[in-house]
Amino acid sequence: MLIYIVKRSVYTLPIMLGVSVVCFLLVHLAPGDPLVSVLPPDASEALRQQLLALYGFDRPYAEQFLKWLGRAVTGDLGTSIRTSRPVSVEVSKAVLNTLSLAALATVIGFVLGTLSGFVAGYFRDTWVDKLASGLSVVGVSVPHYWLGMVLVIVFAAQLGWLPPTGAGPGGSESWVWDWEHVRYMVLPAITMSVIPMGIIARTVRALVAEILSNEFITGLRAKGLSSFGIFRHVVKNAAPTSLAVMGIQLGYLLGGSILIETVFAWPGTGLLLSDAIFQRDLPLLQGTILALACFFVVLNLVVDVLQTGLDPRIARS
Amino acid sequence: MLASVTMDSAGVVLRSSGYWTTVWRRFRRDPVAVAALAVIVLLVLVAILAPWIAPQDPYKGMTLRRLRPPGTDGYPLGTDELGRDMLSRLIFGARLSLFMGVTPVLLALIIGSAIGITAGYIGGFVNTVLMRTIDVFFAFPSVLLAIALSGAMGAGIANGLISLTVVFIPPIARIAESVTTGVRGLDYIEAARASGAGAISIIRHHVLGNVLGPIFVYGMSLIAVSMILASGLSFLGLGVRPPEPEWGLMLNTLRTALYTQPLLCALPGVMIFITSISFNLFTDGLRSAMDIKA
Amino acid sequence: MTIAAASPVQTRPPDAGRPLLEVNDLVKHFPIRGGLLGRRRGVVRAVDGVSFDLHAGETLGIVGESGCGKSTAARTIMHLIRPDSGTIRLAGKVPGTAELSLKAFRARVQMVFQDSYASLNPRLTIEESIAYGPGVHGLAGDEAIRRARRLLDRVGLDPLRFAGRYPHELSGGQRQRVNIARALALEPTVVVLDEAVSALDKSVEAQVLNLLLDLKEEIGLTYIFISHDLEVVRFMASRVMVMYLGRVAEIGPTDALYDGGRHPYAQALLGSMLSMDPDHRAEQAPLSGEPPNPINPPAGCRFHTRCSFAEAVCSAKAPVLAACGAGHSAACHMADPGSGHSRAQAA
Repeated sequence: MLIYIVKRSVYTLPIMLGVSVVCFLLVHLAPGDPLVSVLPPDASEALRQQLLALYGFDRPYAEQFLKWLGRAVTGDLGTSIRTSRPVSVEVSKAVLNTLSLAALATVIGFVLGTLSGFVAGYFRDTWVDKLASGLSVVGVSVPHYWLGMVLVIVFAAQLGWLPPTGAGPGGSESWVWDWEHVRYMVLPAITMSVIPMGIIARTVRALVAEILSNEFITGLRAKGLSSFGIFRHVVKNAAPTSLAVMGIQLGYLLGGSILIETVFAWPGTGLLLSDAIFQRDLPLLQGTILALACFFVVLNLVVDVLQTGLDPRIARS
Repeated sequence: MLASVTMDSAGVVLRSSGYWTTVWRRFRRDPVAVAALAVIVLLVLVAILAPWIAPQDPYKGMTLRRLRPPGTDGYPLGTDELGRDMLSRLIFGARLSLFMGVTPVLLALIIGSAIGITAGYIGGFVNTVLMRTIDVFFAFPSVLLAIALSGAMGAGIANGLISLTVVFIPPIARIAESVTTGVRGLDYIEAARASGAGAISIIRHHVLGNVLGPIFVYGMSLIAVSMILASGLSFLGLGVRPPEPEWGLMLNTLRTALYTQPLLCALPGVMIFITSISFNLFTDGLRSAMDIKA
Repeated sequence: MTIAAASPVQTRPPDAGRPLLEVNDLVKHFPIRGGLLGRRRGVVRAVDGVSFDLHAGETLGIVGESGCGKSTAARTIMHLIRPDSGTIRLAGKVPGTAELSLKAFRARVQMVFQDSYASLNPRLTIEESIAYGPGVHGLAGDEAIRRARRLLDRVGLDPLRFAGRYPHELSGGQRQRVNIARALALEPTVVVLDEAVSALDKSVEAQVLNLLLDLKEEIGLTYIFISHDLEVVRFMASRVMVMYLGRVAEIGPTDALYDGGRHPYAQALLGSMLSMDPDHRAEQAPLSGEPPNPINPPAGCRFHTRCSFAEAVCSAKAPVLAACGAGHSAACHMADPGSGHSRAQAA
């Protein structure tokens, strides 16, 4: 088992390297002037050259890449052109915000999705199943950014129960664990939870249906095992995969939060990314993408290891 | 059992149907799936016939008449923030939205299948190189990759198409490789090799027919996601640019009316939702029809 | 329908002329990859020095336990797997070289596989499957279809009813007939039958075996018949080769082997067949011990760990195939005068 963990961890290194290369290429092969956000359009050529040299944009790509990678490994992701603050500081603040939101959304999605999927799988092909499955298809098909807007319309604009945007009163930049701030989290978290809920519901339903149809369950019933006992068996067999799916969904939420954060003006990594793109703030853009992608890779690793721990068949294969 | 068979009393096979005929027959029995297909066909027709069905020009608006609610005289679904007829904008929006949703998947099917089938058939070193490269792209969550690519390249239809295609190539390549590797190990491929056939002939006659089906169905299941992603890009300002009518873009520009005309604001999203759920229900039905456990 | 445990249908003495197929020292090892970078952890010695000759017009049976390398040997001879070393000659020519292209070789040596369903492309009709091979070798489309239909008729399937069918619409026996027709489509001289009837019901098996015998007579084919069913091999084969852990244990005329082989393994294997005759009960105990691992085979004679006659020389030196009768050789120190084994007859 330990060997597997080590092997799997080592395998992520070339992936991370590849990710950083893609990240760098993405940003640097893009058209457009990297200095467009700091330089006034009528600036002199001399000033331009000075700034280029200051940021290191005039060096050959390979050199820029290695320098950037070397610093990134130590945690220094450069400085944002726009705000002149270290990228790592901006990113870590934003990551905390997004993580809190995504974690809540994942929990909601997992709980509701598992319940729905379980019920659907147990009562397969009855109206209960059709209802639960219908809900999960809706969950997967709805454009979540639109759902966010609808929820804002209903709960904030029309009913006024919850605040429409932001992470805290007065447009605060970080989210804290107090009642004031929880109100701000409700709508975005629900919106975010819808897609994971749909996916987890579908996965769990398929798993439960498949496990129940296995002959060993019939064997257990014939031996007189109670319904609760069978239920425990189903849970044990379904747990590894459903937890893995939940982990992956968390990863997708982290990476794909930009849409919801735009709707709710939530100060997380998504909004940071959006700012970086539209302001063409290259260091910030690079740093954010790299951080998010690496997070995703590490998350995948953790999920794989946990799943192997729970399902011994995988480690042996 | 792949197809159905009709036999007479002596067991002589009278009529045998091909694989897809049987799939279609099973599919027909599922009302939800058929309804979904009908909706898709309807949407495609609307998109094609847009210039003839739309009551007004989707680009012309009168600022005097901006943000009228649905039900206004002459504007059954109201007007948008520039005074353009919503109904016409939604109808014309079908063209771009469907195009941006379906095209990347089609392109990714072609490119991804080529990569995956090659990797799966040749195996060995080539397979490892190709699949590990694909793995690097898999390390990015899809939304992030799409946005990073679009953000890097800039807004616009072409860039949006490219970035979405790149996002969908890895999953399709993986499925293609997996299915091809499965087929590659079967005896009839060995038999074909034993006949002296070359790789190209074997792929053409024996591999493709058995592999393209599952890959295609998987691709179809991606269309719903692609639509949401494509509209999402436009929603962020990274895909289609104004004044083109596209549902995601319309959601963005109508946000200003969130408090004053909420119903108006929500309409484009309804269209995206309907399209997405129809594609999902259709592929679900297709998958059930193809999954025949005798 | 019982299969008479009598002498085989064809009794052909070894040809005085050149053998049709010569296999010399065939070796195929499969690496076991493990570890982070997929390093070689070991090898499975699937085929480890197999040599035999195949004479025109005979049926050579190959028997042995699971894992002895029969199927690997067959696939290597067919060049579906590339051999690590050793030579294969068809009528004196080496396939894959200038004197005999691989494609031409394939037209002359064909194979019928065990799994009748997996051997046929589920998307092609029967006649398309049969016509594929000839098409690859240049036969025009409709001419290939015509040949396919003629062959269907020959194997006992009415072309009018079966030509346009798909594999899943046929029974196992019918599918094997199709596979035989497909093998014959290229008009080969040698047909390798790899457990071709093993998956069939007994009654169907009998029909297919008789079909194979008829075809052999009509066309003048040469068969390599691989099977784990010893009775069937006795019925079909004129010569039998017994394999053990990737090596040839014994090879010789069927009767000579079945009535008393010289190699202890062959004796045990062929003597373990249940007799229908209550007066002829088995006297020897069947084989003892577990079949060893083809990854780490025993040193010297591979069978020595399970052999009741094993002596020091058996674990020290690997035996060679020594002649012990007309066209009959055994790889055992006891059959090799001068090997040093106490039971070996002095030269």
